Amino acid sequence: MPPSTTARRVAARREGSPFTGLGPVFMKEFSDHLSSARMMVLMLFVIAFGALPVGLSLQELRNVTESDPFLFLRIFTSAPQRVPFSFTASLTLVIPLLAIGLGFDSVNSEFNRRTLSRVLSQPIYRDALLLGKFLGGLATLTVALVALWLIVLGAGLLLLGIPPRGVEVARGLGFLVVAIAFGGVWLAIAMLFSVVFRSTATSALCALGVWLFFAILWPLVVPVLVLAVTPTNVAMGMGRLDETLAMIQMQSTLERFSPNTLFGEAVIGLLNPETRTLGPIIPSQMRGAIMGAPLPLDQSLLLIWPQVTGLIAAMIVVFAIAYVVFQREEVRA
Amino acid sequence: MHRLLVLLAFIAASMVAGGALAQAADPPPRGLFLMTDYPSQTVRAGETATIRLKLNNSGLPPEPVALALSGVPQGWKVDLLGGGLPVASAMPGVNESVSLQLRVEVPKDAPAGSQKITLSAKGPIAQAPDLVMTLTVGSEAPAKLSLKSRLPSLRGTPRSSFEYTVTVGNDSGKDLTVALSAQGPANFQTTFSEGYGSNEISSIPIEAGQTKDIKVKVTPPRDVKAGDYPVLIRVASEGATAELRVTLQISGQGRLALGTKDGRLSGEAEVGKSSTYTLVVSNDGTAAIDEVEMSGTVPANWKVEFNPKTLASIAPNEKKDVQVVVTPGDKAIAGDYVASFRANGRGESASADFRITVTTSTLWGIAGIGIIAVALLVLLGAVARFGRR
Repeated sequence: MPPSTTARRVAARREGSPFTGLGPVFMKEFSDHLSSARMMVLMLFVIAFGALPVGLSLQELRNVTESDPFLFLRIFTSAPQRVPFSFTASLTLVIPLLAIGLGFDSVNSEFNRRTLSRVLSQPIYRDALLLGKFLGGLATLTVALVALWLIVLGAGLLLLGIPPRGVEVARGLGFLVVAIAFGGVWLAIAMLFSVVFRSTATSALCALGVWLFFAILWPLVVPVLVLAVTPTNVAMGMGRLDETLAMIQMQSTLERFSPNTLFGEAVIGLLNPETRTLGPIIPSQMRGAIMGAPLPLDQSLLLIWPQVTGLIAAMIVVFAIAYVVFQREEVRA
Repeated sequence: MHRLLVLLAFIAASMVAGGALAQAADPPPRGLFLMTDYPSQTVRAGETATIRLKLNNSGLPPEPVALALSGVPQGWKVDLLGGGLPVASAMPGVNESVSLQLRVEVPKDAPAGSQKITLSAKGPIAQAPDLVMTLTVGSEAPAKLSLKSRLPSLRGTPRSSFEYTVTVGNDSGKDLTVALSAQGPANFQTTFSEGYGSNEISSIPIEAGQTKDIKVKVTPPRDVKAGDYPVLIRVASEGATAELRVTLQISGQGRLALGTKDGRLSGEAEVGKSSTYTLVVSNDGTAAIDEVEMSGTVPANWKVEFNPKTLASIAPNEKKDVQVVVTPGDKAIAGDYVASFRANGRGESASADFRITVTTSTLWGIAGIGIIAVALLVLLGAVARFGRR
C-alpha cells in the first residue's frame, strides 16, 4: 500500500480534532508542576543562581559614573568582579536544568504509575496528551522565567533608581522570549527521552548527558574537528584570507549545533546593542565604522534572527520526533 | 708776582707759536663777567622758567662776589640758585667760571609784555657789569601734530589684515600725550600698536619736536564685498589734531560651504543598495568660485557617485544641490559608518562628515519565518501520518 493512501486512511480513521482534551491535560500538568515540591526546589535553584550575579553586578553598576545609554541591560550582561559569572551566563546553565527537571519523567512516570492507559482510555488523543504536557511544562517555565525577569527588573529599579528606557524594556522582553525558546528546546529534548526510555532514571541521565555534552564537551570537540579537516598551513594562520575565513565559518557553524551557542549569541545581540555581527570581521569591513555606536533594535533583531529561528525550529522538530516515537509506542503495560 | 708769572707764560707761549700769531692775539679782557646764552627770553604766565647764568673771572684773584637782583616785577618770584640751592654770593677761581641758575616763577596773571631784571655781581675789588635780562611774557605757543604714512593704500582679501605704519610728529614746543583713534566703515576693526611692540595702545606720549612710528592694523569683516574702503586715522592732543586717510583695497574671495538642506548630516543605507542624499554646496564668499569638484571618502568596498560631479561656477551667496549616491558594500556589517564628502574649488574647499546607518536586508528574517513554518509543517505531517485514534 502506498504511503499516501495509508496517510489518507489513517486521517480518515480519526474522529474529531487531535486537540480534543488538550485543555484539561494542559491545566492538570500546569497545576501539578506549580504545586510540586520539585518545582519549588528548581525555582529556589534558579533564583539563587540568578540573584547572586545580579546582586553583585548591581552593586558595581551603582558606582558607575559614566553615562551609559543601556545601563539597565548591563544588569543582565555585566560579570561582577567577585563572581566571574554574568546573569545570562548563569541562565545558560540553569535554564536547561530547569527544563530537564520539568520534562524528564513527563511520559514514562505516567507509564510506570500505570496511569497512561487510564488517561488514554478517556476521550483524549495521544497528540493532545503529549502537546498538553509539553505546553504545560513550557507554561511553567515561562512563569518561572517571567518571575525571575521581573525580580531582576524590580531590583534594578530599586537599586539603580532610574527607570529603563523603552528600547531597553523591548530588548529585555526579546531576551525573555529567547530564554523561553531556549528552555523549550531542552524541555522537548527531555520529553523525547521520557518517551524513549521507560525508566525515569535513564531518561534523566540521558537528558543530563546531552546537556553536559553541549555545555562542556561540544565547545572542546569543535576546534579539534575543525583542525582535523583544515590544512596545516591554514590552521597555523598562514593561509589565505578566504581559507582562514572558511575555517572560522565552519567552526562557528558547528558550534551553532549547540542550543547553548544559539542562546548565547542571541543574548549578546539583544543585550549588547553595540554588537554588529556574530561572525568574523575582516579589518576592511570595519574601516570607516563608528565604533561603539549601538545598532537600532530592528537591526539587532535581524542580526539574531537566525539564532532565534534555529531555537524555535529545533524545539518544534525535537517535539515532532518525540511525537512520532510516542505515536508508535505500545502504551498498554 | 703771580700775575707776572702768568704774563711771562703767556709771552713765552706767544713767542713759541710764532711772531704773526703773537701780534694778532690781544690780551684777554680782565675782570668779572656775568653771562647768559640768551639775555632775552620768552616765559609763559603761570609757569616756571630756568635761565642758566655764568659768573666768569678772567685774570683776577679769586674773591667772594656778592650777587644781587633788582627790577623784579611785582608778584614774580625770582631765585638765584647755585648747585640747586639758593645762593647770595659766588667765588670763581682765576680764569674760571661758576654756573648759576635763575629760576623765574611767573604769576598766572602776569600781563603780556617785556620785563627787565637786572643782576649785579660785586666783589671787594672788582665789579662785574650789570646783566640786564629781558623776559617777555608771551602767549602760549599752540600744540601742533603731524601724521604721515609711507604706504597709505594696501591691497588684500577679506581674510588678510592690513597694517599701516604711520609717523606721528609733535611739532609743538612741549611734550604731548597723543590720543589715537580711527574711523572706518561699519564692522571694520582697528587697533594701534607701537613700533614693533605687540601691546594695543590708545594713546602715546611724544616729546617736543620728536616723532614716533605707530602701527595701525585694520581687520575688515569676513563677509565684506570687494571694493575700496577708506579709514580715517586721527591723532589728537590738547586741541591739536591731525588726520590721515588710508585706503584698503579689498579684492573678493570665494568661500565654499558644504551641508544639507535641513542641516541633517546622517542617513540610512541598505547593504548592497544605493541610497541618494542631497548635499548643498554654497558660496559664502564675495567672489565666484569656478570648477568645483566633488569627491568623497567612504569605507572600503563602498561606492560613491556625485551628480553632477563638477559644478561649473558658483556665484557669491548661491547654493547648488548635488546628489550623492552611496552604495554600501555587499559585505558591509550593519551599524554606523562615517563617510566624508568634499567640494574643491580653486584654492577653496569644504568638507562634511556624513553618518550613514547601514541596515541589512529583511529577506533573511522572512527566510527564518519560512524555516519555522517548515518545522511546523513537519509536525503537522507527523500528526497526519501517525495520529491515532
